Amino acid sequence: MIAIEIKKLTKNFKDKIAVNGIDLSIKQGELFALLGTNGAGKTTTIKMLSGLILPTFGSIVIENMDMKKDMLKIKEILNVSPQDTAIAPNLTVKENLEFMAGVYQINNKDKKIDELIKQFKLDEVLNKRAKTLSGGWQRKVSIAISLINDPKILFLDEPTLGLDVIARKELWKIIEGLKGKITIILTTHYMEEAENLSDRIGIMVKGNLVEVGTSKELIKKTKTKNFEDAFISIATGGKL
Amino acid sequence: MRMINFAKRNFKELIRDPLSLIFEIALPIFLLFIFQQIKIPEDLYKLENFTPGIIIFGFSFITLFTSTLVAKDRGSSLLIRLGTSPMKSSDYILGYILSLIPIIIIQDSLFFIVACLLGLNVSINIIFTILISIVVSILFIAFGILVGSLVSEKASGGVGSVIVQLACFTSGMYFSMDLIGKGFAKVCELLPFESALIIIKGVLNSNYDIISTRNIIVFISYTIIILISSVIVFKNKMISDNK
Repeated sequence: MIAIEIKKLTKNFKDKIAVNGIDLSIKQGELFALLGTNGAGKTTTIKMLSGLILPTFGSIVIENMDMKKDMLKIKEILNVSPQDTAIAPNLTVKENLEFMAGVYQINNKDKKIDELIKQFKLDEVLNKRAKTLSGGWQRKVSIAISLINDPKILFLDEPTLGLDVIARKELWKIIEGLKGKITIILTTHYMEEAENLSDRIGIMVKGNLVEVGTSKELIKKTKTKNFEDAFISIATGGKL
Repeated sequence: MRMINFAKRNFKELIRDPLSLIFEIALPIFLLFIFQQIKIPEDLYKLENFTPGIIIFGFSFITLFTSTLVAKDRGSSLLIRLGTSPMKSSDYILGYILSLIPIIIIQDSLFFIVACLLGLNVSINIIFTILISIVVSILFIAFGILVGSLVSEKASGGVGSVIVQLACFTSGMYFSMDLIGKGFAKVCELLPFESALIIIKGVLNSNYDIISTRNIIVFISYTIIILISSVIVFKNKMISDNK
């Protein structure tokens, strides 16, 4: 079953083409990593897929619903963990979870919150204000919040950016635990993150989706020794 | 209700900021107390006239802290997260407005408790004044949403301070407008702060004759225009911030 179907997806900002006619299908339960250098169009693509901005041209179908016609219904089944920590700073961790449960009008919110507290081991920080938490904890809470509505589609925008090795490994473990249950679109600058976590990887260069495949397929295609070299070869057109 | 949920969150954010409580409540009460100790022989400084001025002064800080909250939300990724949720523009705007109503009621109640302790007559008019001031506060909240939607968190403090000063000097809470000159008085008549003050003063003193048709037209026009502008600008900014 296809979870996301994108056809000729384009976004122009005045005379600049940020995303240039992307075609892509992502299967249900797949973890798809979107890679690219800065300004390649990854975040713009994620913003269009999550309904934050409208495409200039092209179509997005999510779980058989057209983004143009069923935006509000689609928003009920997706969630996003943005690049920067997206939590209310003066609210405690529990209040943040309750707030987002209210945003999605979750019926059995206490049960869902308890579930997330256990899954993310949030007990020790539950009553602490979000702004007092370390970067690692804030990111963990941010990802926990993004699961409050049991999303079918989850966008993780650079989830481990700026975290130390241990915090990163902890988050990898959590993301691995979600694989297969939720369709995840992950953007990252860390090659090993994309290689270890994703089922398939798409590489964007100057607004174009130039390659899609597993890490092994991309290494084979570029005749390189490892995935980082494969990425560099694709991103630079073999010039480096 | 999503707007109530958002309002609860905004209320917590606001009351947990000690600076906001100091400026919105403690500073106006301090001024009310101090000016009554000085005993200035001017009608403007009599409790029945100065308490409405203090209410408007307190509201100007509501504008300042609303603008900071909105600008802070825009600057953080929280609004990106909320932008991908099923929340609508009306949920945001009403959520911001509703979160401030309890603060307005607390503010007014404390101002009147202090004013009564200082000698203001206790009457049913106080209840009517609190009710009308809730309506008046919508203008100040809408100003805050508009400023917070237009400028960054850092700039919101500065722009908010300009509104505090404008409210002080053009409302007539400290001095009669005619003292500065007819030109200045005309400008004040065209701004909403003097009209807002006169409406509150008229209700508190049961002196409805001082509220002119111009006061009502100026106040309602500003409230409607600023409220509609804040909705449009907030909505557009949410889209443009995400580009």
